[in-house]
Amino acid sequence: MAQCPVCGATVDEAAARATTGLTAHGASETDPTKGTRQFHEGKWYYFDSLECRSKFLAHPETYAKD
Amino acid sequence: MDFGFTPEQEALRRDVQAFIAENLTPEVLAEMDGLSEGFGVRPGRARGGHVEKLFAKIGARGWLGISYPKEYGGRDGDRISQYIVEEEFARADIAVGLGGSGGPAILAAGTEEQKRHFVPKLISGEYSFALGFTEPHAGADLASLQCRAVRDGDEYVINGQKMYTSAAHVATHMYLMARTNPNVPKHRGISIFLFPMDTPGVTVRPLWTIQNDPRAPIGTTYGTPRTNETFFDDVRIPASALLGRENEGWKVGAMGLNLDRVGAARYLISVRRDEDIVNFTKSTRFDGYSPAQDPAIRDKIAELWIEAQVCRLMTMRSMSIVEHGGNFTYEGSAEKVWAPEHGVRTTEAIAQMLGPYGQLLNGSPAAVERGVFAHNLMGSFQSGINHGSVQVMHDQVARRGLDMPRS
Repeated sequence: MAQCPVCGATVDEAAARATTGLTAHGASETDPTKGTRQFHEGKWYYFDSLECRSKFLAHPETYAKD
Repeated sequence: MDFGFTPEQEALRRDVQAFIAENLTPEVLAEMDGLSEGFGVRPGRARGGHVEKLFAKIGARGWLGISYPKEYGGRDGDRISQYIVEEEFARADIAVGLGGSGGPAILAAGTEEQKRHFVPKLISGEYSFALGFTEPHAGADLASLQCRAVRDGDEYVINGQKMYTSAAHVATHMYLMARTNPNVPKHRGISIFLFPMDTPGVTVRPLWTIQNDPRAPIGTTYGTPRTNETFFDDVRIPASALLGRENEGWKVGAMGLNLDRVGAARYLISVRRDEDIVNFTKSTRFDGYSPAQDPAIRDKIAELWIEAQVCRLMTMRSMSIVEHGGNFTYEGSAEKVWAPEHGVRTTEAIAQMLGPYGQLLNGSPAAVERGVFAHNLMGSFQSGINHGSVQVMHDQVARRGLDMPRS
């Protein structure tokens, strides 16, 4: 389990990445309701909502932790 | 400069028109509904049906990839002929142009192996690219992208994400812009990669915008069924997937985007509504009265038509410059401002002409023309934002066309 760096909510990172189907040419598809994530300076961050991700993107220095 | 078409080009247009009249059967039209991914139905979108047979016939006539070199599956034809064929087929919602930046960029920057592998299959429709450029925090400022590609022996390892990867759910390949050197000024550390969508670690999930409505009928020029967010988790691709030189991807990508902004599709996506509303007003009667006789409607339609012709001339000038090997600088950007803004003005005017009926979406009783005008009204606003916003285009015109310094 990951923790949303903005609001602290628990995010099931495995569910956010879980394959729910395949595209027409074989890429994995995931369920957009299962949280979201952001690749920032070489590291993945997981969020419970797009609102939290937007706050993170506006001020990543506030939320990003090594 | 010659503003006319040659007799051969006029004959080509008549041939294409006759072909469409003969071959766009009710069976083909019924199958096309739901297959469009923007700019009309492309080859390769349906297998084994009427649409596939139609594209086989179009290919047999030599109308796919006309302006591409013969050695890569094209016809060595001129771009104006390509334009004529694209224009006529686009009116029928059939996309015979390659669409997207991939083809031009590969021809300009690809290795011989890449050209032979990709271009014929792009022309035939066997391959199609999803464009992986924009990121959640890198859109208008695209050079700030964070998606990373790290060299590891004979491979690159990709990690990161992309937003608005339209058609990623139906594309065969990703055309990805990624950072290969984070320690140089941001425009200089970027590279482009081409790789199959089924490469392990590629994940796609839907994004829905006002432009995406599965109900949008064929003929909705602004509609695409959905766009996507695409993630890359330790995606390993061979070093041969690199397009052009490492860290020189910014130039390759910008060049491809610029070329993609010209062509019949760009013109028609914005002005086809003018043609449709002219046809609709001329063929419709309300209580015995033709809207084509209404002075206010006639005045507005004539005004929009004049704007549309400006748009068409800009498109043809751009293609003429490319055809003659001229220095193509700001022209595509200017066109990318004029056409979408004209499209917004057109859809707004049509909404006013049609009143409440013009707001009914496809599937609603009494929807005008299956809701095409209503779906376009929603989607037209995005046309000035997607694929390089109007503001970014203004900046390019100022710098490249007017030689003004960077802001």
